[in-house]
Amino acid sequence: MSLAVQVVFTGLSAGGVYGLIAIGHSLIYRLTGIVHFALGDLIGLGAFVTLLVAAGTQPLTQESVSGGRMALAIVAGVLACVLIGAAGYFAVVQPYIGRSAIGWVAATLALGFAIRAVLDAAFSRPAYVFPDPIPFRRVGNDGLVKILGAQIHVRSFAVIGIAILVAAVASWVLQRTWFGRSLRAIADDPDGAAIVGISVERTRALAFGLAGGVAALAVVVAAPGTPFETGSGALLGLKGLVAAVLVRFGGLWAAFAAGLALGVVEAALGTGLLGHLPGLASYRELIPLLVAIVLLAVRPLQLREAVD
Amino acid sequence: MSTPAAAAVRTGVALRETLASARESWTDTATAGGAVAVAAALAPFVLGGLIATDTLASGAYLALAATGLGLCVGLAGVPSLAQGAFVGTGAFAAAHVLRHTQLPAELCALIGAIAAAGLGTAAGFAVRSLDAVRVAVGTWLLSWLLALALGALPWLSGGAQGLVVPTRRLFGFSPTPLVHYELAVILTGLCALALVALRRGPFGLDLAAAARHRGAAAALGVPMERLRVGAFAASAFVGGLAGGFAVQLDIVADPTAYGPLLSFELLVAVLVGGAAAALGPSAGVVVLGLIALAARALGGLAGVSGSRFQPMLEALLLLAVLTTGGNAFVPAAIASARRLRPERRRQSRPAGAPARRRRELLRADELSKRFGTVTAVDGVSLELMPRTITALVGPNGSGKTTVLRLLAGAQPPDHGRITLGSHELTAASAAERVQIGLVRTLQTRAYFGELTVLQHALVGTNRTRRHGGAVRALVSTPLYRAENRLAEAQTFAALETVGLAADADRPASELTGAGRQRLMIAAALATNPSVFLLDEPSAGAAPEDLERLTAILRRLKADGLAVLLVEHNLSLVRAVADETLELELGRVVRRETNGRL
Repeated sequence: MSLAVQVVFTGLSAGGVYGLIAIGHSLIYRLTGIVHFALGDLIGLGAFVTLLVAAGTQPLTQESVSGGRMALAIVAGVLACVLIGAAGYFAVVQPYIGRSAIGWVAATLALGFAIRAVLDAAFSRPAYVFPDPIPFRRVGNDGLVKILGAQIHVRSFAVIGIAILVAAVASWVLQRTWFGRSLRAIADDPDGAAIVGISVERTRALAFGLAGGVAALAVVVAAPGTPFETGSGALLGLKGLVAAVLVRFGGLWAAFAAGLALGVVEAALGTGLLGHLPGLASYRELIPLLVAIVLLAVRPLQLREAVD
Repeated sequence: MSTPAAAAVRTGVALRETLASARESWTDTATAGGAVAVAAALAPFVLGGLIATDTLASGAYLALAATGLGLCVGLAGVPSLAQGAFVGTGAFAAAHVLRHTQLPAELCALIGAIAAAGLGTAAGFAVRSLDAVRVAVGTWLLSWLLALALGALPWLSGGAQGLVVPTRRLFGFSPTPLVHYELAVILTGLCALALVALRRGPFGLDLAAAARHRGAAAALGVPMERLRVGAFAASAFVGGLAGGFAVQLDIVADPTAYGPLLSFELLVAVLVGGAAAALGPSAGVVVLGLIALAARALGGLAGVSGSRFQPMLEALLLLAVLTTGGNAFVPAAIASARRLRPERRRQSRPAGAPARRRRELLRADELSKRFGTVTAVDGVSLELMPRTITALVGPNGSGKTTVLRLLAGAQPPDHGRITLGSHELTAASAAERVQIGLVRTLQTRAYFGELTVLQHALVGTNRTRRHGGAVRALVSTPLYRAENRLAEAQTFAALETVGLAADADRPASELTGAGRQRLMIAAALATNPSVFLLDEPSAGAAPEDLERLTAILRRLKADGLAVLLVEHNLSLVRAVADETLELELGRVVRRETNGRL
C-alpha cells in the first residue's frame, strides 16, 4: 500500500511535467501539422537560463539563492523560452509548413541540437543542482511527509498542483479568450482564419512561445528534485512527445492525462510495483516508448494527401 | 556449330552489348564520380600526416551509412530519423556474434547488416502508409528507443564500458585502419552505384513519383507501401553493414555512440551534401569532417573540448543550406557543370509497338456508398464496353466522382459488385486494378514535380513490367535492358497519343496546366489499360484544349478502350459520348445513347 502511494505521487509529479510538454506538442501539431523536435531542448534552455540568472555557472546548494533573485530567474527562464520559441517558429518552422516535411523535420532538429550545444559549451559540468524556488525543506520532516506509510516529498504536491493549475489556465485561455479562439480557428482551417482577420503567423508564433514557456515553468519547479543535465530537456521533450502520440495529439486534457499516466507507469515499472520480475525496472523507459511506436504503426490513419 | 561454341558466341555478343550500352550511358557525371572514387581511395596516402587513418576510416564508414540513408531520404523522400539506430543495431549485433562465435569478420558484419535490415523492415512496415509527420516521429522514437535500450540494458550493451570486440582478418588482410578505410570506400562506391542504378530504374522512378504526389501515384497503381518498406530495409541494411564493420575498427562497441545525435548527423550529411545525388551523402560527410576540424579550433580558442561546438556548427550549416533553398552542394555543383557543358540529348526514338491487352467488359452491379447519413451512391449499375465512351453527368453532389472512385478502388463500396471480364474487382486494391487493366485520372492537375515528361509516363509503363524489380535493375540483366527498350517504346506511343512526344525530355513543370493534364492521361494510358476512367478532364480547359481533348478521347475509343467520362461540359459529352448516364442524388435517373440528353 505504502509503495503504491509512493509510486502514485512520484509518478504524478514526473507526469505533470510530461503532461504540460505533451500539451505543447499537441497544440503545435494541431496548429501547424508539424512536430516540434526542439521543444524539449527549448525547455532545457529555459531551465538553464533560470540557473544562470539565479547563480551563474558556479556550483551552488539548494538554498543559497534569495527568494527575490529566484523569482527573477524563473521569469527570465520562462521569458527566454517564450521569445526563442516564437523566434524559432519564424526561423525554422514557418518557411516549411505545407511545403517540405524534410525541411521542418531537419530544421527543428537542428534548432534543438544547436540549443543543446550552446548549453554544453556554457555549462560544462555533467549535472547541476537547481536552487529551490520554494523552501520545501522547512516543511514536514526535512521536506518529507508521511502519508499512508509512504514518505512523500512535499515538492511533489507543489509540482502536481502547479502542473494542474497551469493546465487549467491553458485550458481556460484556449476556451474563453480571443487568443484561444483564434488558435482553435487556425487549427480547424488556417485559410479561413486568415480571411476573418486573424493574424495566423503571429498567433502561431505566440503559441509556439507559450508552449515552451508553460512547460519550462513546470520544469523549473520540478528540477530541484533531481540533478539536471544539459540533455535532460531533450529527454523530457521525448516523454512529452510519447504522451502526445499515445493520445494522437488529442485535446489538452487528454494530452495532460497521458503525461500523468506515463509518469505513473514509469514509476510503477521502476519501483517493482508490478511484481519483482527480474530486470523489469531497467525497461521502465523502454516499454512506453515501444508502446507509442506500435500504436503509431497499427492505428488506422486518415491520409489527408491521398484524397484528391 | 557445337553447343559450347554457340554459348561462347552468345556470351561474346552479350558482353559486347553490355559494353556498348555502358559506353552509351557514360556521362560527364560518371567521369566525375570515377575521379572522386580514385581520389578517395588515395586520400590516406596524401593526407597521411594531417589526419589519422583511423579517423579517415571512421569517416568513410559514416559516409557508407549516410549513402544508405540517401536511399530513404533522396529516393523515397521519407524523412527517416532512425539511421543511427540501424547503424547501432548492426554494430552491436556484429559485436555479439564476434564475441560468441569464431565466424569470419566479414560474415559477422553481414549478420549485423541483416539484423539492421530486419529492424528496418519492421520500421518500414510500421510507417509504410503514414504521412511524413508520423514517419519522422516514428523513426525518431525508434532512434531514442535504441539509445535508451543500450543505456539501460547491460546484457545488450556491455554496460557503461561497452563491448570489447575481438579483431579478425578482413578479406585476408590484417585489419589495419588503412584496410578498413579502403573497404569502406569500396562499399560506399558500390552503394552509390546502386543508388544511381535504382534511381534510373522503375523502383526509383516509382518512389520519386510517390514522394512528389501520393494521390496521383496511387491513381497510377504505384505500390507505394511495398516500395517504401523496401527502401527502409535497404537503407537499414547499408547502415547496419557500416556499423558491423566500424565496430571492428573501433574494437569497442560504445553504447553511447548510436543515439539520436548520430541519426541527426547522418541526416545533416545527406541534406548538406545533397539527397538527390549518389555522392551527395559522402560529400556531406566530408563537410562534417571539416566542421569537426573547425569545432576543434573553436574549442581551442574557447578553452573547452571541440566536440561541444560540433553539433552547433552542424546545425547552423544545415539551417543555412535549408534556408538558401535546400540546393545542397553536390546537386548545385552538377547543375552548374551542366550549364557549362550540357548533357547529350537523346538522338533516336525507340520503335516498337507494345502488346495490347485484351479488351474486356467492365460491369458494376448495384453499387452503394454511404457517408454517415448521406447516401452518395444508391444502387448504381453500369457496363463499360470496349470501344465505347460512357459519360456520367449530373449536378454537383450527385455522386459522379464517388462512382468513379468506387470503380477505381479508391474507396470500397458498401454494397455491390465490380467485375472486369473474368476478374472479380470488388475487393481488389487500386494498384491491383491497374495491374488488371483499369486506370483513372485525377480531377486535380497533380504531377510529379521536376520529373521529365518521359519519366512521368514511364511511371505508368512500370505497371506493365515483369522484369523491372530492384535487384534486376541493380545487376542490369539482359532481360531488364530489353524490357527497358520496350518500355520506352510503349511510353512514347502513349505520349504520341496525347501529342507530347516532342516534349519527352522537358521537365513536366514547364508544361501548361492543360499540358500536365494530357501528360497524366498519357501516364495512365501507359499502364496499358482496357478501361479508362477520367474525372472532369475539361475542368479549366481553354477552347483549343477542348478540341485536343476531344481528339484524344476519340483516339482512346478507336484503340478499343472502354472509357468512362465524368463531365460537366455537355458539349464535350455530346461530341464524344456513345452512352450518357445522368445521376441525381446517387441514382441513375436517365440513360441515353448517342450522347443526346
